[in-house]
Amino acid sequence: MDDFAISARGVGKRYKRLQRSERHDSVRDVIAAGVRDMFASKQLRNERNVRNTFWALRDANFEIKRGENVGIIGLNGAGKSTLLKLLSRITVPTTGSIRIRGRLGALLEVGTGFHAELTGRENVFLYGSILGMSRKEVAAKFDAIIDFAEIEEFIDTPVKRYSSGMYVRLAFAVAAHLDPDILLLDEVLAVGDFAFQRKCMNFAKQLERKGATILFVSHNMFSIKTMCHRVIYLKKGQIVFDGPTAEGLKLYEADSRLADVPWFDESEAGRRISFTDVQFVNARGEETTVFDFGERMGVRLRYKTQGRVERPDIRVGLDRDDETHCMTFSSLTDGVALPYIEGEGVIELRTPPLKLVSDLYTCNVVVRDADGHMLAGQIGGRFHVRHADFSASVWGVFHESGEWRVEAAESVQLSEVRDGVG
Amino acid sequence: MTAEAHPAPTTAPQIVEIRPDRGWLDLDLGAVWRYRELLVVLMMRDIQVLYKQALLGAAWAILQPLFAVAIFTIVFGYFARMPSEGIPYPIFAFAGVLPWTYFAEAVRRSGTGLVTDAELVRKVYFPRLIMPLANVISPLLDFCIAFVVLLIMMAIYGIAPSAKILLVIPLMMISALLALSIGLWLGPINVRFRDIKHTLPFIIQIWMYASPIVYPLSMVPEQWQGLYSLNPMVGVIEGFRWAVFDQGEPNFGALAISGTVIVVLLAGGLIFFRRMERTFADVI
Repeated sequence: MDDFAISARGVGKRYKRLQRSERHDSVRDVIAAGVRDMFASKQLRNERNVRNTFWALRDANFEIKRGENVGIIGLNGAGKSTLLKLLSRITVPTTGSIRIRGRLGALLEVGTGFHAELTGRENVFLYGSILGMSRKEVAAKFDAIIDFAEIEEFIDTPVKRYSSGMYVRLAFAVAAHLDPDILLLDEVLAVGDFAFQRKCMNFAKQLERKGATILFVSHNMFSIKTMCHRVIYLKKGQIVFDGPTAEGLKLYEADSRLADVPWFDESEAGRRISFTDVQFVNARGEETTVFDFGERMGVRLRYKTQGRVERPDIRVGLDRDDETHCMTFSSLTDGVALPYIEGEGVIELRTPPLKLVSDLYTCNVVVRDADGHMLAGQIGGRFHVRHADFSASVWGVFHESGEWRVEAAESVQLSEVRDGVG
Repeated sequence: MTAEAHPAPTTAPQIVEIRPDRGWLDLDLGAVWRYRELLVVLMMRDIQVLYKQALLGAAWAILQPLFAVAIFTIVFGYFARMPSEGIPYPIFAFAGVLPWTYFAEAVRRSGTGLVTDAELVRKVYFPRLIMPLANVISPLLDFCIAFVVLLIMMAIYGIAPSAKILLVIPLMMISALLALSIGLWLGPINVRFRDIKHTLPFIIQIWMYASPIVYPLSMVPEQWQGLYSLNPMVGVIEGFRWAVFDQGEPNFGALAISGTVIVVLLAGGLIFFRRMERTFADVI
């Protein structure tokens, strides 16, 4: 009890479920709703309250000791960001209490608070204050910050002229010098080029040696594995596992297979079909999760329907590990008009040669009816695309070869140019 | 949001407790004080950004009221032959436009500042009161620049200020407080209902004509003056002219009304703001 850094007891956060249209309601809507409520029975009102609210986080109890590194894992919408928001005091819990010992630095999104018109120098002071440093402190650490960010010569340039890499480096450098006792990290290590990522990791390790407590939220299981000995696994707003990383990750991987995608809303058109297994197979029909760049991938979908599903559009979407949605295959768009499917069966998609860059991907399986209503949306699993050069940070989403034509000056040999493009 | 600093049991760093709020009167103004550096930094940012984006920079602080005064002088001074209590009309109007321009800008910024900086509110913790405070203070710089122009114009017209001109300082503090107390109400409402942004310019426009800026208070029919003075800016603007030109009697009645309005709006506004700020990050 004595050496805790964070201690949470019975923490819950309830949100109103807002339709997109009523997010920023006009005064008129609210008056109309109020009048409607006046004439509604008490029971009806209570029912509506229950239906219109949900617990993003419920009854969370945990204690994190000083110097501990803890990973927070869970699917989108499981309550990870809510937990971070509560810990960083951006929003207040509905129930329970959290006690935090020491200075807490939250890096929920690097560079929030940067102002595009201001120079790097001015932004260092602005961002430093926003993160909770005093001006004196920022001034004392200024040189170290610039050094870490590697942008000395641009320090008096407005940040709107920075490349995104420079921008992130500067923001992270400021945050890195906050010297917090507790650091909340949300996916920030996923940005920047490889060298900078390594720098950030080293920095986190260094903080760890100093005895700082780090809470790390990520979808990148690799970084969780290297950084944390303990994970807290959130599922639908509740802590379902709190313990050793390896065990937690295994549970998470098993759970996230075939789980609903967060944007699937069963109340819209019902769960009319579900997938009981999704397999990735190579050209020889063997199951695998690693594909070479340019290899064709087979996705075998085993389904089970509730009654007859008329004119379904089967879609397979591929998301990169940083949550970039890369592409979607659609049976309807590809000209396969299935009249209906019923009962159990297997549908197989054969992709063209994969041109996605080398990275980890998540496959989502979605079924829509002819009117576009979503009948199912599940996470099909994860696979790797492998290539020695084509990485996301340099090559973007996919790579295709182009045809090049060079109008060279006489002295330039075309063959030389070709070598350069190579 | 409640954060309490308990005295630390040992030499260990302080413990912050995060939990649901206790009640209506939990204002936690201490947190604002602890974050005073951020207040300064945000003000600096507002000022730097404003002058960086605009080609003419600080000149706008002068040009804006000067244009208004030029128009008022032509329309009201020259065409309508509005009386101006023996003071040349341009100077008379300028001395009304100055405190008004500040007030209108402070209300506009403090009413919409939270939404303008929604990204900060959503992603970072700080006592939200910092925001309207910074918004109300930063336009004072524009005021100071324009005030120098007023002094120059007075010199040109041969009007010498008396020592009373120092009273401009407390008068501007009153209008800042008034703008803040209105901003404390408008800000949270604007977070929830974006209508404010569209309604505000309209309200400010009407309010301006309901204040003695282009005309003197004496133009208002006597039987209406009581009602008219319920406008809390009447006392400020009349007081401003009195302090600058040292003419006539100070209107203490009108200032007392300003004071009362401020106390009521400010106290209510603080409670309202604190109550609403818990959900800012969720709703904005």
